Amino acid sequence: MNRVTGLLTSYLGRRVGQALLTMVLVSITVFAGVRAMPGDTAQALAGEQTSPEVLAAIREEYGLNDNIVVQYWDYLRHAVTGDLGTSARSGLPVLDSILDALPITLELAALALILAVVVGIGAGIVAAVRRGRPEEWFANGVALLGMSVPTFWLGMLLVLAFAIAMPVFAASGFVPFGQDPVENLRRLVLPAIVLGSGLAAVVMRQTRAAMLDAMSSDYVRTARAKGLSHRAVIGTHALRNSLVTVITVLGLQLGQLISGAVVTEQVFVLPGFGKLTIDAVFTRDYAMVQGVVLFTSAAYILINLLVDLLYSVIDPRIRLGGS
Amino acid sequence: MRRLPLALAVAALLTFATGCGSLSPPGANTATAPRLVDARPVRDGGTAVIGLKSDPDKLDPTLTGTLVARTVFTSMCEQLYDVDQHNRFVPQLAATLPKITDGGRTFTFDVRRDARFSDGAKLDAKAVTTSLDRDLHLPGSGRASEIDSVEKVEAIAPYTVRLTLKHPDTPLLGRLANTAGLVMSPKAIATYGKSFATHPSCVGPFKYVKRVVGDRIELTKDPLYYDADKVHLDHVVYKTITDGNIRLANLRSGDVQIGDQMGPVEVRSGMGDKALQLLNTPSLGYMALTLNVGNTDGVDKKPGHVDTPFGRDVRVREAFDLSLDRELINKLVFQDMYEPACGPVPPGTPLSTPVTCPGRDVAKAKRLLKAAGVHTPVPLELMINTTPEDNRLGQVIQAMAKDAGFDVRLRPTEFATGLTRTLAGDFQARTGGWGGQPDPAGNIDSLVGTTGSNNQGKLSDPEIDRLITAGRSTADPAKRRVIYQQLTRAINRQHAVIYLYRNINYAVASKDISGIALSGDGLIRVKEAGYVKGGQG
Repeated sequence: MNRVTGLLTSYLGRRVGQALLTMVLVSITVFAGVRAMPGDTAQALAGEQTSPEVLAAIREEYGLNDNIVVQYWDYLRHAVTGDLGTSARSGLPVLDSILDALPITLELAALALILAVVVGIGAGIVAAVRRGRPEEWFANGVALLGMSVPTFWLGMLLVLAFAIAMPVFAASGFVPFGQDPVENLRRLVLPAIVLGSGLAAVVMRQTRAAMLDAMSSDYVRTARAKGLSHRAVIGTHALRNSLVTVITVLGLQLGQLISGAVVTEQVFVLPGFGKLTIDAVFTRDYAMVQGVVLFTSAAYILINLLVDLLYSVIDPRIRLGGS
Repeated sequence: MRRLPLALAVAALLTFATGCGSLSPPGANTATAPRLVDARPVRDGGTAVIGLKSDPDKLDPTLTGTLVARTVFTSMCEQLYDVDQHNRFVPQLAATLPKITDGGRTFTFDVRRDARFSDGAKLDAKAVTTSLDRDLHLPGSGRASEIDSVEKVEAIAPYTVRLTLKHPDTPLLGRLANTAGLVMSPKAIATYGKSFATHPSCVGPFKYVKRVVGDRIELTKDPLYYDADKVHLDHVVYKTITDGNIRLANLRSGDVQIGDQMGPVEVRSGMGDKALQLLNTPSLGYMALTLNVGNTDGVDKKPGHVDTPFGRDVRVREAFDLSLDRELINKLVFQDMYEPACGPVPPGTPLSTPVTCPGRDVAKAKRLLKAAGVHTPVPLELMINTTPEDNRLGQVIQAMAKDAGFDVRLRPTEFATGLTRTLAGDFQARTGGWGGQPDPAGNIDSLVGTTGSNNQGKLSDPEIDRLITAGRSTADPAKRRVIYQQLTRAINRQHAVIYLYRNINYAVASKDISGIALSGDGLIRVKEAGYVKGGQG
């Protein structure tokens, strides 16, 4: 027990160190990348109908005349104290905007994930168990559709069907869960379906493939030979082993879920991370882009860490740190 | 074919007369029969959600640079003067039109005595001078160049303001009826300084509550407002919905009640929806194709010599102009829902005079190219925005110009990059728009004057410069009208800015809501708006 705890502590320490280093590298990359974008920031902020004096003042105020290293150091110095700067466009603190947007994207991603897991794993099991039958064809067809339909189009289609023709759900906007749970779900169900459909399809195909693989393996044959029920063989043996592959895929896809929220948030006018990022990029709002990317990177790193930890819980053969 | 315009005119007139038509085709006749108000009686209470095309920048009248911020200001920040539905200047926070004396060097006006800012501060002459001083002197002020003719701002009595100018500047009134005329609370200025945008406080029917960047701006009815009896809505929410299709979908689903700046495609798509109504007004601005004729070192430098056929010879530019069919552009690109334009002065404004578009004449264009002695096809790189509309516009121009002997290559460029390249002089031609002002000087001086800060192609013509000065220093409207007629001709003779079309401002609204006004400046006013009996809210 002590050895396991020791391994876990050392593993966690190593991973946190890696995470911090990754964050610094990400911040440098983003900082340089955003500044390498063509187009003058001051001009993008001031718009077309402006004067040279205004441009000069904007450059001065946001330190755009400084050396890039000075600008980065200044940014980093403030960032470690939690000050991510002020949006050059709106004049509001970046952190406030991020904290407004963060729960929305996280809730959307969580709902989409639940949908993808429930539908994807369920359909994957059915497709594997009912191989060669209509149920498998149906599940495969739906999965193909889920992966092929463009997000924007599916979103508009759902809005037309369920917000305009049959006004069951809202077409746009966000209401916090704590304020009105029903309204919150009314506004998030459609975007969650749009965002989760692609992932559900991937999960379904992975589950099906892993299940088929497991069902033809020796240990499943052994379990059957021992006289275990069909349900026990599928649920306890085949599914449990298949889940390792599925969780790996989910972990990899989760990051894409957050980045995929960009389009979904545009269609459903959700003021989440994606929308914040797009608007910030188009207006060359450096502080906002950097803040959003840092948070997204942190989310990626955290998710990867959690996935690694989950491996060991599900499959004890996997040892932390490879020892 | 002849019957269509007549049918459209009748439809537009019926809509105007009933005050509550369904979304019907406005067509080319909207300019003659625009529908600016919806005046059905309303009840008190409710929230109106207004869908905006883009997210406003800073909610600070001194620092803002976007038209969409002004749309929000119509609900929370009144200005000294306003523009009525006939594009005439009328007092808003000022009590009188300015008394212009001393050969146009002094503007004197009174301000309202019954107004309070949302934070409780009182509106008086001192509050106005505090605002104007901030506009003139705050670093980064977008207003400083607009009112740079003002030398001194004084409160000569508790409710009387005097502006002393460096030189005669008749168009100043137009700028005081724009963002520069917005008055901010002196208390909020003192408390928040440059961060006024985080707690904006002005005189207006609604006051600021909260802003979520990229999403919404929430306002609530201001009980201190001097005209609060006329305000019916409890709350107004401005919501940013950049995609026109999505804005329309939200209007149809009832999540949004008013859609601002709707595009022709969306208006056409929404036609026939009996739950929606249309308001429209011709724009004060224009869309044009600007040719680089002298911008070699940047827009802030002296004009240079652009060594291209377009830079060298006005006949090549005229030939290009003659190759374009503005009517057809309007039909093909904008569903016949905008208007052809061939001058900078917006029609329907007090100083405008009719201008005849040159019309397409390919034969003459070819003759001009031959006379200019250029090899055909004459190459031209045309920078366009990355929107679908601009793409279509570019393709139509490309096809038309080809017939006359031009080889137009399109270069779609994202806004910020395009702007930087344009101002640096790194372009041959570009399409772009100008928001527009009722006073013609606002559409001309900075755009084609030799020293103009927005003269992107760096056109430089002594005759144009002379007329610009004359227009600014003449107070008599009749004389000014003649000057701007001459100025339009002089600009068009150069063919360096080829005016293409004029937008029509379209606002689509739910029929449940009434009392919306769309003024000549294209901004939606919801001061007197509310839900009709039986409507949601």
